[in-house]
Amino acid sequence: MGFASMSTTLTNPLRIGLRQERVISPQCLVIFGASGDLTHRKLIPALFELFRQRRLPSEFAILGCARRPWSDEEFRQKMAAALAPVVSEDPGAWANFAQGLFYEPVDLEKPEDVVKLGIRLEQIDRLRATRSNRTFYLSVSPNFYGSGCRSLAAAGLLADPSRSRVVIEKPFGRDYASAQALNRVVKSCGQEHQIFRIDHYLGKETVQNILVLRFANTIFEPLWNRNYISSVQITAAETVGVEERAGYYESSGALRDMVQNHLTQMLALTAMEPPGRYEPESIRNEKAKVLQAARLAHEAEPWKCCVRGQYGPGGSSHEPMVGYRQEPGVEGNSTTETYVAMKVFIDNWRWQGVPFYLRTGKRMPKRLSEVVLTFREAPVHLFDSSGGGQPNANQLILRIQPNEGADFRFEVKAPGSGMRSRPVDMDFSYDESFGEPSDEGYVRLLADAMLGDPTLFTRADEVEAAWRLYTPLLELIEQSPWQLPVYPYEARTWGPAASDSLLARDGLLWRRP
Amino acid sequence: MAPQLTLQAPLELPPQEVSNYLERLWEGDQGHPSGATTFSLLVWEPAWIEQHLVRLGRLQGPITGLESASLLQAAREAIPSCGLPASTSPLAPELAWQLGLLPGDASGEDRRGQHVDAAISRHQPRRLITLAPSLDSQQPLETLVAAYCPLPEEGPKTTVCGDVVVMRGGMGALEQGLAMVNPLIPPELPSWVWWNGSLDEAPQLFEGLSQPPRRLIVDTAIGSAARALEVLRQRAASGQAISDLNWYRLVSWRESLAMSFDMPSRREALAHVSQLDIDVQGHQPVQGLLMAAWIADRLGWVLEHTAPAEEGGIRSEFRRPDGAPVRFRQMSVPVGTPSTHPGSLVGLRLVCEPKDRQGLCVILCAETGGCMRLEAGGMARMELVEEVVATTVESAQKEVSRTLRGGHDSTNPLLAACVPLAAKLLPR
Repeated sequence: MGFASMSTTLTNPLRIGLRQERVISPQCLVIFGASGDLTHRKLIPALFELFRQRRLPSEFAILGCARRPWSDEEFRQKMAAALAPVVSEDPGAWANFAQGLFYEPVDLEKPEDVVKLGIRLEQIDRLRATRSNRTFYLSVSPNFYGSGCRSLAAAGLLADPSRSRVVIEKPFGRDYASAQALNRVVKSCGQEHQIFRIDHYLGKETVQNILVLRFANTIFEPLWNRNYISSVQITAAETVGVEERAGYYESSGALRDMVQNHLTQMLALTAMEPPGRYEPESIRNEKAKVLQAARLAHEAEPWKCCVRGQYGPGGSSHEPMVGYRQEPGVEGNSTTETYVAMKVFIDNWRWQGVPFYLRTGKRMPKRLSEVVLTFREAPVHLFDSSGGGQPNANQLILRIQPNEGADFRFEVKAPGSGMRSRPVDMDFSYDESFGEPSDEGYVRLLADAMLGDPTLFTRADEVEAAWRLYTPLLELIEQSPWQLPVYPYEARTWGPAASDSLLARDGLLWRRP
Repeated sequence: MAPQLTLQAPLELPPQEVSNYLERLWEGDQGHPSGATTFSLLVWEPAWIEQHLVRLGRLQGPITGLESASLLQAAREAIPSCGLPASTSPLAPELAWQLGLLPGDASGEDRRGQHVDAAISRHQPRRLITLAPSLDSQQPLETLVAAYCPLPEEGPKTTVCGDVVVMRGGMGALEQGLAMVNPLIPPELPSWVWWNGSLDEAPQLFEGLSQPPRRLIVDTAIGSAARALEVLRQRAASGQAISDLNWYRLVSWRESLAMSFDMPSRREALAHVSQLDIDVQGHQPVQGLLMAAWIADRLGWVLEHTAPAEEGGIRSEFRRPDGAPVRFRQMSVPVGTPSTHPGSLVGLRLVCEPKDRQGLCVILCAETGGCMRLEAGGMARMELVEEVVATTVESAQKEVSRTLRGGHDSTNPLLAACVPLAAKLLPR
């Protein structure tokens, strides 16, 4: 296997092949739900990428498990077909990689199947010298997370905490109570350091960069507080609609699908205190602490600080788009939100009084995720803005995706005889600076899970704190949804007008990227 | 981390009984710990310098084969008294040779193979076989066997057991015992051979022990450059997995050089390199040649000619893809406090001269040494990029541990690609 195939994506020839910093130990990755979408869309491509980067050892195996009665060969063929464009780039590498792909029909609800799984894993250990190290990836319906863990524990497959780990996909629970209950089950099956609750946003290079930007530079941290920052906006916008996920989405909505996990993780990384050292527990302690200090701006009257929306028909005459209620699998009178915006405060010394505005939506005009920190205005305005009026407040914009990077917006003198100011951007772009694309989030997270590094995974108390933060909203939606109406918005617009009002009440505007 | 000892004193057995004994050892009851299904590691452990230092009374025993601080200190102290230059590395074979000429008959217990460095034991090798040649070439073969259950210093105390086998004796006795080594290596598990010595010595044993599919770990910083590069070239070309610790030590140099050209505005300059200078410590050229060959391979240069230069240096010329020449010069430079490893890189200079644009000069310097030679002369009109490269010195055991942690059954493609060129760069 060589690196020649990678050269097409890289422009610094000296960079090729240097990404081998942490090599994963010999092990078998067991994917439950191997016949599902996630396996061929994300997991196997991520694993193949790791293989091509030589970050997987030769003593490695992937055991796909699902109810379907496939053979090893069928599994290999199906994965090859699903990844055809990637496989055709490097068929030799795929042939080697596929030798380590196996399949075992397993129903996690059936104890005899799990016993059979244990025997198969021992065979694979002998065949591939995987040293009894196992990572179990639960890519199954959330209903089976608890029972899946129980089955694995009952079969003794989690008995050795140094050799076995469990990765659990989102959503981890539906609310605070169910997350607590699931955590109790999971903890009864293994130790916390064996459990890897995945949030693929944390696998993004730019999300991790929030930590580096804040804590590896001295220029930001002194300003990173209520004295200098007036507000924070966190946005995750998607252009796509509900696609084929109506079944799941109808019961979750944007709040559970995006806010409780992805946006909350961005909030935690943006607002957390500096950890004492760069190690998993120090970082997770700080994240948990800041989430425990977070609250909705109006906990007793959540409708005052939250707006829900649902996309209606829209688009253009060339590309008309149906509304959410017309999507296949969606109820005609559905009140599931596809957009949600809210205002949050963090009650600690650093952030007291600084509003954090969170928003996410489907069928937005652009696909983007970003964190925008708006600094307080200069105390005295000596200069007018070239556009008239007062100069703009400084902004630091952390672009999570696309065009990953950061912008710092500040005022400079506009050319000419007067003394007027105008804003300019100081721009950092990952592509420009590093000349190579970042790994997909799952590449990083799968590697970390198999390395046993939980830094980028959410701990039990973090998940519970995140659910607790949104409990008043979830209860309101459950008990008196009319108090939090779902406003329609036209597809490919920035959400309902009510969400603009949410900020307008504070004299602010959403940033229009 | 402290080295771990076997749980019991090793049992001395007649060589012909070792195999049967090991088979019986793992036929225990269900309740007994089972043998680890991990890998086997075969170590050639001459520890000549340590043996001589103990024999001369300059180092207290036991002889362990581990790269301890006391060993390195004693070796550094011995360098001037052997009449060797101050820039001689404490692990240089010439030191062993010079020590061998000195009289002395002190003795120390030989525990090679019984002190297992924690960096290696943490991977729980199924079988650890140590071949420990003694200074006395007439010494008969001794075989020692022990079960071995490494207990991790951190984390859960799970017990996964393996065994250690030590074969000790004169070179002739070890060669005679070669036939019994191969059956001891479990065929179903991956196996590594770590040749922890010069590739010049014991060629018969080396050939006998290091055949594929065993994965080979060598250190081309030790011994003759021609032999080391030839072994690397042959084994990589044959498809065998070969890891070179000397190559891995270049990681921070490769990263620093790549980082210098990450900026889009500088990338173009890589097509206009006109000169490459490398300084290495002492007269061991392999690491410098591997670095030069890696750069040349990545940038598509073709070697035109190579010749010896003054003071043990090398002067070569490459041809760039656009046909322009690239001058390469490698110099041996003296250093006050030499690195543990002979021939370590001290500095690197890459000069890029695009037509009609400002030139670029990248200078990388080891943090432990100066770079004055490379900083001198003629670069005033160029953009100058100067970086200090971190030089972390780890014991060989830790370096090997990294290879064992997640191994590959093929050679690193970057190494495989640059080794033939490095071999050609070495003047005949």
